[in-house]
Amino acid sequence: MNAPYLQASGIEVSFGGLRALQDCGFTVDQGRITCLVGPNGAGKTTIFNVITGFLRPDSGSVSFRGKSLDGLKPQAIVDAGIARTFQNLRLFVDLTALDNVVVALPSQAGEEPVGAIFRPLHVAATQKRKRQEAMEILAHVGLEARAKDFVRNLSYGEQKLLTVARVLATGAELLLLDEPASGLSAGALDAVMALLRRLQADGKTLLVVEHNTRVVQQIADDVLFLHQGHLMAQGAPAEIISDPALAEIYFGGAI
Amino acid sequence: MLAVQLLVNGFVTGCALGVVAISFSLIYATTKIFHVAHAGIYTLAGYLAWTFVSHGVPDIAALLLAIALGALGGAAIQQFLYAPLERRKATHLVVLIASLGLLAVMQNIIAAVYSANILQFPVPWGSRMVAAGSIRLTWTQLLTAVLSLAAYAGTMWFAHRTILGKRIRAVASNPFLAEITRLQPQAVYIYVLAIASAIVCLPGVLVPLDLGLQPYGGITPLLTATIAMIAGGVGSISGAFALSVLIAELQNLSLLVIPGEWSIGITFFIFVIFMLFRPTGLFTKAR
Amino acid sequence: MDFLFSYIALAEIYVLLSLSTNLLVGIAGIFSVSQAAVFGVGAYIVAWFLMNNVLGFVPAFLIAAAGCVVLNILLTLPALRVSGDYFVVTSFGIQLLATAVFTNWTTGTGGANGLPGIPPPDLFGKALESTGQIVTLCSAAMVLSCVAFWLVMRAPFGRMLRAIREDELAVAAAGKNVLRAKVSAAALAGAFAGIAGGLYATFLSFVDPTSFDLDASILMLTMVVVGGARTLTGSIIGPFLLLALPQILTLIEIPTTIAAAARQLLYGVLLIAFMLFRPQGLAGEKL
Repeated sequence: MNAPYLQASGIEVSFGGLRALQDCGFTVDQGRITCLVGPNGAGKTTIFNVITGFLRPDSGSVSFRGKSLDGLKPQAIVDAGIARTFQNLRLFVDLTALDNVVVALPSQAGEEPVGAIFRPLHVAATQKRKRQEAMEILAHVGLEARAKDFVRNLSYGEQKLLTVARVLATGAELLLLDEPASGLSAGALDAVMALLRRLQADGKTLLVVEHNTRVVQQIADDVLFLHQGHLMAQGAPAEIISDPALAEIYFGGAI
Repeated sequence: MLAVQLLVNGFVTGCALGVVAISFSLIYATTKIFHVAHAGIYTLAGYLAWTFVSHGVPDIAALLLAIALGALGGAAIQQFLYAPLERRKATHLVVLIASLGLLAVMQNIIAAVYSANILQFPVPWGSRMVAAGSIRLTWTQLLTAVLSLAAYAGTMWFAHRTILGKRIRAVASNPFLAEITRLQPQAVYIYVLAIASAIVCLPGVLVPLDLGLQPYGGITPLLTATIAMIAGGVGSISGAFALSVLIAELQNLSLLVIPGEWSIGITFFIFVIFMLFRPTGLFTKAR
Repeated sequence: MDFLFSYIALAEIYVLLSLSTNLLVGIAGIFSVSQAAVFGVGAYIVAWFLMNNVLGFVPAFLIAAAGCVVLNILLTLPALRVSGDYFVVTSFGIQLLATAVFTNWTTGTGGANGLPGIPPPDLFGKALESTGQIVTLCSAAMVLSCVAFWLVMRAPFGRMLRAIREDELAVAAAGKNVLRAKVSAAALAGAFAGIAGGLYATFLSFVDPTSFDLDASILMLTMVVVGGARTLTGSIIGPFLLLALPQILTLIEIPTTIAAAARQLLYGVLLIAFMLFRPQGLAGEKL
């Protein structure tokens, strides 16, 4: 019996008097695109923070490929193969798009001062290779034309694509994407959805927080409905979206 | 009993330090600014009082005048330094450096005007002793302890029982929310700086009565006070005051075993221990 | 001519200190007023080795640099685990503690009188006694340090530090060890400060605590602020400009009693002015 790919169980998180996550648990299967939906305040970003090590839960545990992630620092979790994007992007504004990706590439020569000072040629050669790798990643998300541009000069849609490029650079196999499609025009939206499908074809597993029901319908294999910090329902997108009780919670009334 | 005398002395020093700590805590908890220049106000108060007293102003009036001017100074610092920096979206580091610059300016103006040597306060009544058994206290020490405790009580009352005090605590606990619920944090900051500066003028005047005035003598008490504030839990007035007394007692008791010039080492050592094992302090307010 | 050489040698030594402060404050964003303490440790180590004829200049120099690297790591590591403001207190504490040690540990540091008669540096058995030779040594050290700094900033390490300054969390989310990067920056800063200390001791042939006190740290901060943060150019302009200022001040005929205070006052004014009106300094990036 295979261990579940990603499993969260019994997660409890409270901020002062507010219970953000209550006995929250779910599994994510490998190779699928799973969407995490639910009204605002349901705890979606909080559970992301728990999985990626930015927040220690009061109780409960998360395991990935059978190994526990409890107590690991964010860097260690990236090493284990999980990377996330942020709802508010958090790109490095003063760096170029290319540099944003290069920074995220794993262990490079010259990341500490001794190597940088005493092996400059080796560092330069490695950097050339890394920049090429980063260009390929940018091409994969469709941003190669904007590689040399500073982040502040990119459109919102391009910035969102860049956040995905950054997680790809880490080499992680499980990507946690926090609202990758929100705030985008129709064209940019289609580009993102196409990208997510490409990533799945590449063998990545995606856990996506998303509010847009059209996006969920079109790309999700599974849907997890979170409400008040607890998993309320899960199933195929068609079931979840057409369920009137869930619609009530989500929209405060029938669609 | 040398130890008991040291304990009593330590209590007095601790009370004065406690006032510095609670005034700094007020500013830090509300504005989140590490107002290093607070040491400058502290020093300035003493020199102002000395100037007034030297010109024949009665002692109490000199103290009150110093406090009033201190309040004005604090408000001016917020209005003309911190508020403009906030408007320019200055980083935390920039504000720190500016505050440090202001401290340097204040200390060195004082040094230039009054000389860098220690200046004694002409208060003959201050050194008269009061004795209880083998324990001796100067009138100054007595006054310091009493007024400091009063200041502590006053601050607690102000923070918990007055509208302005509650407004300040609201802004301190959630500046973002305060902004959108129209509590006007910026206006609150001016009050906070003014009040806290006024408060710190009390030890600023009282402590030099016995020890004398020195232009550069403000940073050490401020540093000790911030350690007390952090160890007692930022935002806790009682924590800051209690820890100040504790630190002062430990510093004094340490005189039994080590030479006086190393007492700051003790304070620093205590701080490092706290940082390693209990960074959130003993009495942190639950959010 | 000797006078010009002195100015140049001193400015070059301070370029190393600017690079050090820039790494710590400008690039890693750690507020530090304890650079002078580390500078002092480097100076006293080299002074001790040379005066007691234990080691030649180069090995003493290397030990001092290594010692300061370790010192900086030890000082920043615990403080980096907690919030930035706690490090402010730690930094002040370190500086004041260091001054206390330099002034009171008479056996090791000569106490308040310092260590006179430090022998000149010797390279490969030949003593560098003329000012011209020492200036050449300082110039070489400065050039090498600038090259090292430039290499480091161009490398992934420099880029990662810039990213950390913008958004630590995002860097951690990208799988990088933020703490290790900051501590490495601090270690490198320590190396620069230690080397500067060694050069200073042999150049002046005399060290005393007043060269390594809080005012000295403030001067270093001012150099970085005025010259410009995070750039090589800024690190070079700052010291040359700031060290020329006292000469300009002498033209204004300030009485010697307040000359020191006047200088420090000027530094404070510069800090405030630049933070308010030009946080990027003359040739740097915004702090």
